[in-house]
Amino acid sequence: MTTNGISRRGALRMFGIGALGVAGAGVLGACAPSGASTSTNGGDTKSKNFDFTSWSLNEEAAKPSIEKIIKAWETEQKSKIRAVSYPYNEYLSQLTLKLGGGETTGAVHLDIAWLAAVAQMGKLADLGSVAGKGGYTDVALNSGKYDGKQYGLPWNTGSIGLIANSKLLKKAGIDKQPTTVEEFEDALRELKGLGGGVVPYAAATKVAQLKDIFPWMQTFGCKLLDGEKVTIGDDASIDAVTWYKKLHDAKLIAADVDRFDARALFSQGKAAFYDDAIIGKGVTSAQSKDKTLADAMQPVPRPVLKAGDTPQALLWGGVIAIVKGKGQDAATDFALHATTDPETIAQYFVERALPPSTTAGLADPKVAKDTFTTEWTEKITKTATGSPFWQFAQNAQIEEAVAKQVQAVLVGKSKPKDAMKQAGEEVSDLIKR
Amino acid sequence: MTTTTPMTSSQLTGTDQLSGAARTPSATTGQTSRRRIRKDVLRSRIAAWTAVVVIGCFGLLPVYWLLATALSTPESTFQFPPKLIPTDLTLSNFTALAENDQLIKYLVNSMIVATITAVLSVVVATYMGYSFSKFRYRGRRSLMHMVLASQMFPQALLLVTLYAVFSSFGLLNTYTALVLSFTTFTMPLCVWMLKGIFDTIPDALLEAASIDGASRWRTLHSIVAPLAAPGMIAAGLFAFVRGWNDFIFAVTLADKEKQTLPPGLVSTYIGEFQTAWPELMAASLVVSVPVVVAFMFLQRYLVGGMTAGSVK
Repeated sequence: MTTNGISRRGALRMFGIGALGVAGAGVLGACAPSGASTSTNGGDTKSKNFDFTSWSLNEEAAKPSIEKIIKAWETEQKSKIRAVSYPYNEYLSQLTLKLGGGETTGAVHLDIAWLAAVAQMGKLADLGSVAGKGGYTDVALNSGKYDGKQYGLPWNTGSIGLIANSKLLKKAGIDKQPTTVEEFEDALRELKGLGGGVVPYAAATKVAQLKDIFPWMQTFGCKLLDGEKVTIGDDASIDAVTWYKKLHDAKLIAADVDRFDARALFSQGKAAFYDDAIIGKGVTSAQSKDKTLADAMQPVPRPVLKAGDTPQALLWGGVIAIVKGKGQDAATDFALHATTDPETIAQYFVERALPPSTTAGLADPKVAKDTFTTEWTEKITKTATGSPFWQFAQNAQIEEAVAKQVQAVLVGKSKPKDAMKQAGEEVSDLIKR
Repeated sequence: MTTTTPMTSSQLTGTDQLSGAARTPSATTGQTSRRRIRKDVLRSRIAAWTAVVVIGCFGLLPVYWLLATALSTPESTFQFPPKLIPTDLTLSNFTALAENDQLIKYLVNSMIVATITAVLSVVVATYMGYSFSKFRYRGRRSLMHMVLASQMFPQALLLVTLYAVFSSFGLLNTYTALVLSFTTFTMPLCVWMLKGIFDTIPDALLEAASIDGASRWRTLHSIVAPLAAPGMIAAGLFAFVRGWNDFIFAVTLADKEKQTLPPGLVSTYIGEFQTAWPELMAASLVVSVPVVVAFMFLQRYLVGGMTAGSVK
C-alpha cells in the first residue's frame, strides 16, 4: 500500500480540478432550476397572507413593538403574516440572495441606504399611487425614491448629525452652539482645556465609521459626485481632510474611535460632541451611569464653512418596500398602515423613539413634547440629504475605499492631496464596474 | 523541567574541601562553576516561566475577558477606559439566557445538526478513506485530489450554488439542508485524515483476515474500524466543531425555526444600534460548554487520531 505525498503533477492536477470545480459550481448554480426565478415572487397578489422581512424582528429592543403591530393587523384583517429576519449586518446580502431566489414576498423593511441596490433588482412594486395617501413629509418621501419611482413607504425618517453634551459645553464656558467650522474649532480647543482626558469631539477615526467624513467634505464644498463624475480629490475634499488631520494632530479628535467607542466616551462624560443617528440619545444615555445625561444631550446642526451655508447631514431611516407578486396588495395596505396610522406610529415612537415620517405623526402630542426629536427634525433632518453613492451596489466598497485613504492621512502615511486623489480614482473604478 | 550538568570528580572534590578562608584555586574554580550552573538553571527557569505566563495570558485573557464581561452590568461594560477587574458583578445575564426559549431552540438545533454532520462525515469518510487507502482502481488519485480540491472552493460560491439547488429541491429551511451543506466542508478533511490512518494499518492484517475467511465488509467493520477508532473520533470531533461554529451556511439556508446558535446569537444580541455585550458573552460562554466538555472527554483520542499515520 502506498500513500504518496502530493507530487508536483498531483498538485497541478488538483488545482486544475479545483478550477474546473469552481467553474462547474458556478454553472451548476446558474443552471439550477431555481424555483425562484421562474416562479419569482409570483403567486396570488390578492392573498391576505404575506411575509414581513425586517432585521428589527430579531432585536430585543424592537421586536415586541413590531410584533404588536403585526398582531393587531392579523386580528383586524384576519390574515397571517410570516415574520422573517436576518441580522442587520447580513441583511442586505441575505435579502438580495433570497429576493433573487424568489423566497422573499410581501413587505420588506429596508435601510434607506439599501433601497437603490434592492430596487435595481426589478422585484419591487412602484408605490407612487399609494404614497400620496400617506401624508408623508417631503424629506421622508424622497428617502423612499429611486430613479424617480417611489419604491419605499417611509417608516422612520431621521438623520445622522452631531450630538453635544450641554453640561460639558457649559463647564468650558461655551454658552452658544458653534455654527461655523471656525467657531467649532475654537469650542473644541476650549473643551480640551477642561483636561481630565476629555475628547472634545469623538469623531470617527476608524475605517468602520470614517464615512462620517462625507458630510464634512460636503461642508467644505465637495459634491462627492457631480453627474457621473466623482469629485473626491478636488480642493474641497482635500481641505476637509486636511482640517480633520489638524483636529487629530491637535488632539481635538482621538485616534481609533468608531461609533461604539464614541458612545462609550460620551456616556462617560468624556466627549463633548459626537456623530450619531437620532436614536443615539436613547442608546448612549442607557449606557451611562449619569441618569441626567439624556437631558444634557442636544442636537447640533453641523457647523458650516461660512455663515449662511446649509448645514450638512446624512439622511438616515427606514422604509417598507413591497415585493411584486404574492400578497402584494395586502402587504401594501399593511405598510401604509404601519407607517401612517396615527395611533400606531405614536405608540411606536413612544416605545422606540424613532421619528415618524408623516406630518401628522410629527405633530402628535406624544412626539411633539419630545424636544430632542422635534429640535433634531427641525435643525438637522430638515437639510439632510442621502449619499449620492447609495445608488451604486458597490456603496460599501466606495465608503471603505475613501475611509482607508482618510485613515492613511490621519496616521501620517499619506498626504491629504495624494490620498484624496487615490480615493477619487478608486471610487471612479468602483462605479464603472 | 530542569536539567543538571554532571560534575567532574575534581569539582566534587573541590566542593568537599571547601572550608573557611583556606580555599585552593581548584576549589574556587569549582564553586564558580557551580554558581554558574545554578545561575544558568535559574535563568532557564525564569525564561520558561516567563514564556508560560506570557503564552498563558495570551491564551487565557480572551477567556477571562469573556467571563468578566458576562458577569458585568451594561454600564460597567462600556466603562472607558475599561477595567481589567470588574466591580459591578451580576448573574442577571445568565438568568436572562435561561429564560430565553428561542436561544434554547437554537442550542437544540445546533446539537442536532452538528451531531448528525459529525456522524455522517465520519461514516462516509470511513468508506471513502478506506477505499482510497486499500484499493487500487482507475481514477483513484484524481478522485482523491478532487476531494481535497473541493476544500478550495470559496464558501460564498458554494453557498449560492447550494442555495439554488436546495431551493429547487424544496430543502431550504430544513435540517437536511444544514447537514448536507456542513458536510460539504467537513468531509474532505475527514476523508484525508482517515485515509492517513488506514494507511498505517498493515496489509498483512487484512490478508490474514481474508485467509481466515472474513469478507471485505467484515474486515472493515470488525478489524479495521476498531483499530482506526481514535482517528474516527478525532475526525468526528473536527466535523462537530466545524458544524457547531458555522455561521454563513446556517444564516442563509435555515429560517428562524431551524437556525443554529451562531446566527441565533448574532441575531439576538447584535443589533443595528448596539450590541448587548454582557448577554452575548454570557451566551457564548454557556454554548461553548458542550464543545469544551466533548474535547475534555475525547482529547486523548483527538491527539492519537490527529497524529496517527504521521510515523510509519
